[in-house]
Amino acid sequence: MDAASVRELMATFIARDIEDGEEVFVGTNLPVIRAGALLAHLHHGPSMRVMVAHTRTNLYHTPVMEYFELLTDWRGARWAEAYFNDNEIVMYQKSRRDSVFFVGALQIDPFGNSNLIGLGRDQRRLTLRGPGAIATTTNASHVRRFYLFVNEHSPRVFVPRCDFVSTVGWGEGGADARRRLGLPGGGPRYCITPLAVLDFEETSKRLRLHSVHPGVTVDEVRARTGFDLLVPDRVPVTAPPTDDELGILRRRVDPQGLLRR
Amino acid sequence: MSEPGSERRSRLVEEASLSSWFRDGMCLALGGLATACHAMIGVRHIVRRALRDLTVVGSAVGGLDVDLLIGAGCVRKVICPYVGAEALASIGPFYRAAAERGEIEVWECDEGQYYAGLQAAGQMLPFMPTRGGVGTSYPEINPSLRVFEDPVRGDTLIAVPAIEPDVALLHAAQADRYGNVQFVGTGYADRLLWRAADRTLVQVEKIVSNEEIRRAPERTALLADGVMRARFGAHPFSSPGFYLEDRAHIAELVDAGRAFARSGDRGPFERYLDRYVYGPADHVQYLETVGLRRLLALDEY
Repeated sequence: MDAASVRELMATFIARDIEDGEEVFVGTNLPVIRAGALLAHLHHGPSMRVMVAHTRTNLYHTPVMEYFELLTDWRGARWAEAYFNDNEIVMYQKSRRDSVFFVGALQIDPFGNSNLIGLGRDQRRLTLRGPGAIATTTNASHVRRFYLFVNEHSPRVFVPRCDFVSTVGWGEGGADARRRLGLPGGGPRYCITPLAVLDFEETSKRLRLHSVHPGVTVDEVRARTGFDLLVPDRVPVTAPPTDDELGILRRRVDPQGLLRR
Repeated sequence: MSEPGSERRSRLVEEASLSSWFRDGMCLALGGLATACHAMIGVRHIVRRALRDLTVVGSAVGGLDVDLLIGAGCVRKVICPYVGAEALASIGPFYRAAAERGEIEVWECDEGQYYAGLQAAGQMLPFMPTRGGVGTSYPEINPSLRVFEDPVRGDTLIAVPAIEPDVALLHAAQADRYGNVQFVGTGYADRLLWRAADRTLVQVEKIVSNEEIRRAPERTALLADGVMRARFGAHPFSSPGFYLEDRAHIAELVDAGRAFARSGDRGPFERYLDRYVYGPADHVQYLETVGLRRLLALDEY
């Protein structure tokens, strides 16, 4: 088998961090996150429940779930165990308090607060209007934990201060930052990028380098981050997938090879 | 005509009499979600009449129905957390251009706040509290979202004012002439839009008999004030159980929007409007313009 692509590596990292029995919410048009969630499910999570777009399912005894690009593609119903109204999915956060979620970002600050609103100073004259928070503000306030996920690791993304904050990570910093804001969810655990995995230092809750992907140096990650990243003395390389994991990824999760393009 | 009261009133609305439902400056909620189930006969009607200053409550994942209305100059204010077509257009080009230029007002929110506002309207309450948004920029960039201290537990919460549409314009699978509406699938959040709005008009793929509705009354999702026959009425968007989205047509609309956003060239969009909105005299002519071969190719599976 060919060596894992960076996107397969990112998916594998996500998969290994998800435990059997957890409920995972995958958005739409997010092939790496979908692959991470489904790899966890098919590799070690027979009792997981996964929501891919709006389709809630368990695929453990199912060979392959087709990839759908659009949120509302009802052909996904072939795999569904349940559907709920969109407003119920968003409003009733109590049933999501034990679930796992993912948040994308235009900007991320040193405490993992993130911005999907846009770039600029004045909301009425944004230099770039982003997609908006969709439901990330509400979901990230309540879920057990979430992951920040970006397709670009650069000083444009990792900034000292976000122009706007649409999703709270660790607020002003400190392990009690979220409690002080009254946010019941567990907050961000990792930030996954094409260069590295970042975590949050336990006391300050500042972003810290957790591992670098194969072929990437610590200095490169530092240079591509627009603020002082905490760097421990020893930084491991992000562990590649095993043959078993890669086999599941390529045969059952991503037979189209979206993660290898 | 029967005497008033002697016969059950039909809720059927003909396309030719749509105009009484819409007026300048109104607050209009549009149903569906993302690339599905937008009530496009009604939307094209509004563009054709060149209505102005609308407050548009798009769906929670607002589609290019909203973008089309913005491009046509009908919109003053947008209330929804997103406008676009996901993988087909990550953001609506007209929405983006108009918002960045300050030509429309964007009522900034995430889905939680959006739904809370509609929920408040449906419950006839002035506001609904949310926790999502505490600690973010939303209360600053949308001053209607008011941070307050909850009198029960002392928590810091956000008061989202009621979002109160005059009319909800929706698209569903079927209804009888009395306004009993049934979906294939969940209907997304259309039922909440109905609860929040003063009046609801629903386009349906099929008008069925009242007996057909009574065969599965538990499937009746909402009671509409008006229902309109609308086969392929969500085109170019999908309608669960009937047809998929028309990607080539959506691309035509997106390309026209992008040409405008990139260089201010309204030509492609004007040609789009001429061909699909101003040209056809009614929905059937619109479908003839799109073409039977294209429409039938949108069958599911």
